[in-house]
Amino acid sequence: MPSKWLLFPGRATALLLGNEAIARGALEAGIGFASAYPGTPSTEIVESLAWAAQKFGIHVEWSSNEKVALEAAWAASVSGVRALAAMKHVGLNVAADAFMSIGYTGVRAGLVIVSAGDPGMWSSQNEQDNRYYGLLGYIPVFEPSDPGEAKELTVKAFEFSEEHEHAVLMITTTRVSHVRGPVELKDLPKNFKTKGWFDKDPSRFTLVPQNARARREHLVSKWEAIRDALSNLQPFNRIEGDGRILIVADGVSYLYASEAAERLGIDARMLKLATPVPLPKKLVLKALEDVDKVLVVEELEPIVENQIKALVAEEGLDIEVHGKDYTGLTGEMTLERAARSILEFLGRGAVDIPWKPVDDGGLAGKLPPRPPAMCPGCPHRATYYALRRAVNAARVKPVYSGDIGCYSLGVLPPFREQDMLIEMGGSVGAGHGFAKVLDKQIVISIIGDSTFFHAGLPALANAVYNRSPQLVLVLDNRVTAMTGEQPNPGTGINAYGEPAPMLKVEDIARAMGVEKVVVFDPFKIKEATKALKEAIEYVRDKRAPAVAVARRACALEATRRARRAGIKQPLYQVIDDKCTACGVCYNAFTCPAIEVKENGKAWINPDLCTGCSVCAEVCPFNAIVKVVEEGEGWDDVWF
Amino acid sequence: MTYGSSGGKLALTGRSLNILITGVGGQGLITLATLLAETAIYRGVKALIAETHGLSQRGGSVEVHVRLGEVKAPLIPQGGVDVLLGLELIETARRLKTLSEDGVVLTTDIMLRPGLPGVKLPDKTSLIESMKNVVGDRLIVVPASKLAREAGGLLYANTVMLGALAASGLLDGLVDVEDLKAAVARMKRAEENMKAFQLGFDYCAATCRRGNP
Ligand SMILES: Cc1ncc(C[n+]2csc(CCOP(=O)(O)OP(=O)(O)O)c2C)c(N)n1
Repeated sequence: MPSKWLLFPGRATALLLGNEAIARGALEAGIGFASAYPGTPSTEIVESLAWAAQKFGIHVEWSSNEKVALEAAWAASVSGVRALAAMKHVGLNVAADAFMSIGYTGVRAGLVIVSAGDPGMWSSQNEQDNRYYGLLGYIPVFEPSDPGEAKELTVKAFEFSEEHEHAVLMITTTRVSHVRGPVELKDLPKNFKTKGWFDKDPSRFTLVPQNARARREHLVSKWEAIRDALSNLQPFNRIEGDGRILIVADGVSYLYASEAAERLGIDARMLKLATPVPLPKKLVLKALEDVDKVLVVEELEPIVENQIKALVAEEGLDIEVHGKDYTGLTGEMTLERAARSILEFLGRGAVDIPWKPVDDGGLAGKLPPRPPAMCPGCPHRATYYALRRAVNAARVKPVYSGDIGCYSLGVLPPFREQDMLIEMGGSVGAGHGFAKVLDKQIVISIIGDSTFFHAGLPALANAVYNRSPQLVLVLDNRVTAMTGEQPNPGTGINAYGEPAPMLKVEDIARAMGVEKVVVFDPFKIKEATKALKEAIEYVRDKRAPAVAVARRACALEATRRARRAGIKQPLYQVIDDKCTACGVCYNAFTCPAIEVKENGKAWINPDLCTGCSVCAEVCPFNAIVKVVEEGEGWDDVWF
Repeated sequence: MTYGSSGGKLALTGRSLNILITGVGGQGLITLATLLAETAIYRGVKALIAETHGLSQRGGSVEVHVRLGEVKAPLIPQGGVDVLLGLELIETARRLKTLSEDGVVLTTDIMLRPGLPGVKLPDKTSLIESMKNVVGDRLIVVPASKLAREAGGLLYANTVMLGALAASGLLDGLVDVEDLKAAVARMKRAEENMKAFQLGFDYCAATCRRGNP
């Protein structure tokens, strides 16, 4: 649940998550439209707005993907309604086609595109630096350092966007979006403009080549006006302190660099930047006055560094500019890293670093690792278990074309049923390529429901059209679980939690021309195995695509629904005398609720058991039994 | 204002405290961190919490950085942790490295099995012994499994540890114990949580306040 402070009408200091702060900023700016596709660490922005939306009459939605989210927000903006589209950094790749044209058309009411990056890859497949997108698409980049600034900068971004009739790309990272800190709340507007009027102007909005050429000229000149304006973006961009050494830092790196310098007692001039793109040249030149050398502290790519190097060359200045040679390219900034970079840049040794890790005598290395695991009752575990058995029964050599979602955890032992994973929706597209060139292996593309609606649809159309012998296994757990159980087009509810149309994967597959479509319940292991085996054999024999839908709700969602509705959850336990310590339940099925006793026998932790019943079916000795009966309606919460 | 007013010259000489909370996804680490931070900013003390969501929610190893007082950056440096507040023993042991020279470890005695097949759990007593070898008497193991069950169940272990931390004196000058108690009283399942807090508090008041902490 978002912080109650989001709705607080007046002034106060509140502890907010960076993403909640952005949502609050959007509210203070009188936003009328917000859209997003979830993705860590961006999700809570629109989650918070959805929660607040109905009170203010704002339209807030989970879009089916980022491209749609951005297109829709742009349309709201050019119709005069302030709009925000949020996504994780890789989401901007999906939205990139739209993004690249938005600079050309410009906007009308403020349009803020939030892209939450993930240096260090805490929950992402790459750590691309989206500040490059700003340079690529001629869209200015705003980069807050902490939740307090994120709120203020969001308000500023809407004003700036409107003033320049140009979108703003706001870039955060995990350490801004997922940091909680004090935020100064200001008044919420009395009215939110949620409806507009589209004033037609095809010369601007219809980018046929002739118009696009003219818009391109306009864009290039506007870019310099934007650059100049950013030199005056106080207090977000500012010079602090003095000295012949200049440290430049943007976004959260400013906090690391500034705290490191202070703790090291270093006197330097500091240029704090909240707008790395385009480089505010006037302000930078002012910061460079009487300076001998410069250290740029920034995460990932040398975006600010390279622009300053270009500026120094343009101006013929005799100043050394450093950055990545000291800070390195990979991973996130830390205080140690900032301190080490500053000390080395000044020619001092790392011995001066005030923090030293403790020597634990190798203790940490001896401890068992604890990677995240599929939850107790997770339907994906049951599907993986059944799939393995189906593959064995059909005696085929499988290639598991993987995708992104909770089910990516199937890469871990004992399942190992994710042989590759590159991006969202990639399973079916790559599965097609695999299927076309592999004649002795059977391709099983595994994709979640949300991912299917996000990017699986065009790939399935292609698989049918170009007839690829692959089994597309859709893990329909009814929600977008990985990012915190948001609804999607298959869920039947919208972002506000109201009933909405429910799209069915099997209907879509049939409509697209897939001839073999099966739907099964993964908790019924025998039936699931049979359905999967048939589908695999169909693909092998007919050399055509098949779709299998595993339908069972996410266990977190199902148990939450049961709790809310007061439906009693059943409980399973092991009959100790019957347990032979064979280990099938804890080594092959690996439910985290099942623990191993000293003697190798299984024990079900009642605090963790969700009553899913699957272990009772997988136990070869019928040693697991239901000891607490479920209440009425228990089955319904799982679909 | 947090991001604006400090200027470049503010020397970070005021009191600050770096608390690293660690445990397993689902143990209520963020609730704990939020209670501490909200109580701090209520009295005008700056507080920052850095957390990782996403994959870590699925029963994985989690750490939450809480920085109180005169601080700017969100993450605590390795070797800069003043209090390592552990909700699970293995996770606490994994992070002893992060402690500062006089940093204190305050941990539960709860051990949770990682959800990997064939994992061998370390023996609890010898694990605690190995931890003592690294940090000596700066290690305080709170019998939180017993105390939490007394309060109503293992899920109250986080509040037990909050009580223990409150009694340790480590928060002095940053977080007011009475404010903290009032915040606990506003939690869901307030009765159990208040009991858990008090049990942790009493345990630590009797044992933790010796010498160091
Ligand atoms: C382009 C892009 N957008 C968003 C994400 C973040 N993300 C990772 S998995 C996922 C959705 C998974 O949902 P689903 O396919 O239903 O699988 P589940 O987690 O429910 O098993 C999202 C949104 C991403 N990795 N890439």
